[in-house]
Amino acid sequence: MEEDLSLLERIKQHDQQALAEVHNRYFDQIYYYISYRVGDSETAADLAGEVFLALVKALKNGKPPQTSLTGWLYAVARNLAADHIKKQVHTVPLLEDLVADAPSMTDQAHLAQILPTIKMALLELTDEQQHVIALRFGQGLSLAEAAKIMDKSVGAIKALQHRALASLARLLPAEVDDDG
Amino acid sequence: MTDRFESILDESISALQAGVPIEEILAEVPEYAAELRPLLFAAMLLADPNPKLIPEERKAVLHAEYMAQVAELPPVAPTFGDKLQAVFRIAQRRTTRKAVVKDLVTVTITVILTLLMVILVLGYMAQNSLPGDFLYGIKRSTENTQLFFTFDDGRKAELQANFNQRRLSEIEQLLGQNRVAVVEFRGTIETQAEQLWIIEGFTVLIPDDAVIEGSPQEGDTVDVMGILRTNNVLVADTIQRVK
Repeated sequence: MEEDLSLLERIKQHDQQALAEVHNRYFDQIYYYISYRVGDSETAADLAGEVFLALVKALKNGKPPQTSLTGWLYAVARNLAADHIKKQVHTVPLLEDLVADAPSMTDQAHLAQILPTIKMALLELTDEQQHVIALRFGQGLSLAEAAKIMDKSVGAIKALQHRALASLARLLPAEVDDDG
Repeated sequence: MTDRFESILDESISALQAGVPIEEILAEVPEYAAELRPLLFAAMLLADPNPKLIPEERKAVLHAEYMAQVAELPPVAPTFGDKLQAVFRIAQRRTTRKAVVKDLVTVTITVILTLLMVILVLGYMAQNSLPGDFLYGIKRSTENTQLFFTFDDGRKAELQANFNQRRLSEIEQLLGQNRVAVVEFRGTIETQAEQLWIIEGFTVLIPDDAVIEGSPQEGDTVDVMGILRTNNVLVADTIQRVK
């Protein structure tokens, strides 16, 4: 995090080398985050590109990230992903249909097959819940890391994660639980 | 209760992500199994087994677009806060004991050297000054300093004689310029009329209120202090016989 702060100070001075380093260091994780949330790699690439262009624009306008570079990048990525999702007309298929022909939900092949639809179900969650799910399960971040990025306490992230999983679980048919 | 459950949920998710089967996890916390099961099942579905990679070419294009924008960023002008911070940082560096001592020595040496320079320059400029001039006091102070630091009696007498010659020369210059000035010199009384004495070739008027010390007679050496008038008359103020 100290390295992040040093990088932040350098980019505030419009240090081109530092700005190149920001792209090299954070592009992939921002791309994976957006990809997890929007589900489409092409769109994710475009939006990830926009996140970094937004950083340059913010510097140009004299409004650079103040405390956390990664927090700022994820916040922009979150907003862009949320805006994109809002624009999409989506329908959430019933998970009963998805799991009906699955012999077991622990079958990894089947999980991979139904994953896109699971992600559609994610869209029913609040933006904040989607954000925490993407950080915890998409990015594989720890509670502490997610808390830092979201500028919340670890306890708040635990509660948010709980509510998000509970909301998602409500979409699951009872027989699947028994199956698992 | 909720906090406890949320902590168990998080530990269970960590175990799930480490590959522990759900049933095994639930068996560890049977009292929470019913509540945990659907949540862990949801958590299991959320892991992305095949994250989509971005093609390197696409990433390179996005990087190039970004760097093109970066290249157009103007240089950052330091803000008032930045300048203040810079001053503060310098001040911090200068307030260590070593730096303070170094600064004091530097300042002292600089002041002493400057004063010496000023004294030397003024001393040089004062060499040709006459009584009544702005720099004359410096000329006399320089002479007195020279006398003070001369410990050999012979050399001191020689210096005094030289300086007295200067006084006589100064009076001649003042007379030439018809100037009014307070003067002093040492000389021999050549003649003594009632109120008009000739001392060392200069005619000296002795007014009634003049202070005459030591009952000087013709041929005596006296220290004379008086005022040179515009009519080229030297009016004595004090005449003191030198023993």
